[in-house]
Amino acid sequence: MTGPLLQVRDLTLSLPDRSRAPLFGRPPLVDIVNGISLDLAVGQSLGIVGESGSGKTSLGRCLVRLYPPTSGTIRFGGTDITDASEAVMRPIRKDLQMIFQDPQSSLNPRRTVGQIVAQPVLALSVETDRRAALKRADAALDRAGLGHAFAARYPHELSGGQRQRVGIARAIATEPRLIVADEIVSGLDVSTQAQILALLNDLKQDMGLSLIFISHDLSVVRVLADQVMVMLGGRVVEEGAASAVFDHPRHAYTRELIDAVPLPVIDPEWLNAEQAGGGTKMAEIKGQTVLVTGTSRGIGKVFVDQLLAAGAAKVYAATRSGGGSHADNRVVPVKLDITSATDIAAAARDCADVTVLVNNAGINHNSKLLATDQAGAAAAEMETNYLGTLNMCRAFAPVITDNGGGAIVNMASILARVNLPLMGSLCASKAAVYSMTQGIRAELASQGVAVFAVLPGAVDTDMTKDFPPPKAAPADIVAEVLAGMQAGEADIYPGDMAKGVSGGLAADRPGVIAEMAGYV
Amino acid sequence: MSLILDIAGLRVSLRRGGHLVRDVSLQVATGQVHGLVGESGAGKTMIAKAVLGILPDAVRVSTGSIGFKGTDLLSLSPRRFRALLGREIAMIPQDPLTGLNPSRRIVAQMTDTLRHHLGQSRGEARGNALRLLQEVQIRDPEKVLDRYPHELSGGMRQRVLIAMAFATEPSLIIADEPTTALDVTVQKQILRLIRQMQERHGTAVLFVTHDLGVVAKICHQVTVLHTGQVVEQGSIDHVMSNAAAPFTRALMAATPRYDQPADALHPVPEAVHQTLRDAARTFDGRNP
Repeated sequence: MTGPLLQVRDLTLSLPDRSRAPLFGRPPLVDIVNGISLDLAVGQSLGIVGESGSGKTSLGRCLVRLYPPTSGTIRFGGTDITDASEAVMRPIRKDLQMIFQDPQSSLNPRRTVGQIVAQPVLALSVETDRRAALKRADAALDRAGLGHAFAARYPHELSGGQRQRVGIARAIATEPRLIVADEIVSGLDVSTQAQILALLNDLKQDMGLSLIFISHDLSVVRVLADQVMVMLGGRVVEEGAASAVFDHPRHAYTRELIDAVPLPVIDPEWLNAEQAGGGTKMAEIKGQTVLVTGTSRGIGKVFVDQLLAAGAAKVYAATRSGGGSHADNRVVPVKLDITSATDIAAAARDCADVTVLVNNAGINHNSKLLATDQAGAAAAEMETNYLGTLNMCRAFAPVITDNGGGAIVNMASILARVNLPLMGSLCASKAAVYSMTQGIRAELASQGVAVFAVLPGAVDTDMTKDFPPPKAAPADIVAEVLAGMQAGEADIYPGDMAKGVSGGLAADRPGVIAEMAGYV
Repeated sequence: MSLILDIAGLRVSLRRGGHLVRDVSLQVATGQVHGLVGESGAGKTMIAKAVLGILPDAVRVSTGSIGFKGTDLLSLSPRRFRALLGREIAMIPQDPLTGLNPSRRIVAQMTDTLRHHLGQSRGEARGNALRLLQEVQIRDPEKVLDRYPHELSGGMRQRVLIAMAFATEPSLIIADEPTTALDVTVQKQILRLIRQMQERHGTAVLFVTHDLGVVAKICHQVTVLHTGQVVEQGSIDHVMSNAAAPFTRALMAATPRYDQPADALHPVPEAVHQTLRDAARTFDGRNP
């Protein structure tokens, strides 16, 4: 077989949110695991880290098909097991084992250790003869460093570390190709933990085992993982080789997690040091009062809906006309033309409870910089895109600070970093927005306001219908912005095009500029 | 710096024979955080329970003294001891959920202590409870007062318990693994808070933990325990940089670190455990 042992694409798990269930009817669904993709090669180990509620345990259970995924695909050893029936899964299960968090509750107290370890061997027909199965169990117990003398004992006679070794013996008894281990050392003493970690490392090397190791403890993950995935709110915020992620974390959330781990080293500054990450803090959506500009269509409209779904307490939906209505009573329509000083002052007065400002409104005249018939376009674009956004920030920064801090999100564009001559005038105005956002971020750094610049690629809206490259759906863009905010990414690059161009600019700047020039 | 807690030659024994704590001595002065470190069964929780007078029935203090501001706690009548507990000696428990009564609002649980120990009126106590919640930086303290424990996050519950521990301005706080149940980012906030409160109020803290990382960040003094015996004792600088005991050094080498690759990790050699178990056996032979 070539290709990865485990291949996961866009895996999503949604479960009913009973805390928000209506009196009658079904509770709304909430995404526990959201769009996860991963590849795991034979003999490789992947560490999944995250805090409680990050979705790491649910993801692990989806991977061994204890939970049925809502969408996406899981391929194991080349077979699509996403919706595989139990009959199809049975022969696969001997290759795909799981070790659970709590050895106490995952071992049957009325069976001997030998019976417990032999159980999957028989049930999955690795051996059909009972005696042969018990013999295999003995070998697995030896392998797990417990010794087959333990086969006659019962779980309650064992210490925590010994019980966890039984869990390991049970998982390796069927000689699997992949083991998913979920927080298996979290309740153990340091000296026992070190032994279990050493054992797993040996098994991995001797049996050519692939391993998915789930833990909240970054230090423990470092011991076992070749690759690391950092999860937050059901999504992956950072992934890569373990050494790269731990030594040079790119993401603010990863840095925060790493900085929070107390190393056994004296560092008088550690307790009082705020997280690293250049002053951009994470922004929660839940419970916030958000004002979004330009909500009559496109991205702005989608923003309103997704903010509501993410649990915003109130959303001021601003449009130039002030019209529009929404089925959700948390939405308050606001009349706001961001080029009007009077409108902005009135909005800052009327919406005094705002904690998050999303500056989405903008215009695009699709104008080249030297086109003689479009002299007014540059001025109009600067007036709305740059000055309008700046004036909104000026008016609402004190409002947000007064309300105890929050966030400002400015929609720039990937074209702020490279000019697309087809609409050179728009690009210049977006570059101004991007630069201004960085300045405001620095000015507000100490006041509890997180400032985000969003640099999307082409988005599929009316405004970009003449734009040639591939476009992303507004819903995907907004979802990535909200995830980026909650993860504390200062500059958010939603969509493949944005990430591609941003990566391209780092690797081959002249090449990207030349390609953009080709669109004239 | 005056001595607040002075444990001398403390021996905690099972009534049916055998010892759990073997002649442990340690001192905690005003404004100091003293870490009590060890693995499960090392006797750290037994020492904390002996100070709080809450040892299980099967266990008793057989010899030694627990001096608290010059008085031996073990010589106090149960009534005088109870008057001291909660007022002069408070505790922050491990599990913030079991530390709170699930059926009563936060305000009722906080004002109990203030009314009982300090004789405050209902209104006075509510005002002070609010001030305490503000001091531990809880958002919306007014609302939190009227909540039930299950309505708060783990970090918030631990903040409430810290506020309650400091409510009567005690001289000594026993913190029993107060951050083990929390996420790392919350743990850091709680450690910072305990340090701030303890410095501001000049409180002595006996901090029980199994985590050498936590010890390095919050303690001034450390006692490392194994099988109820002190294997290492001294300032945090000494223990972290010049540990003499093989067990302390082995424990450091067995602690995984995200900043070090896997091959830097060495399990504690069985011989190190065995030497200390033998020492415990020799001790028991001499002191039946």
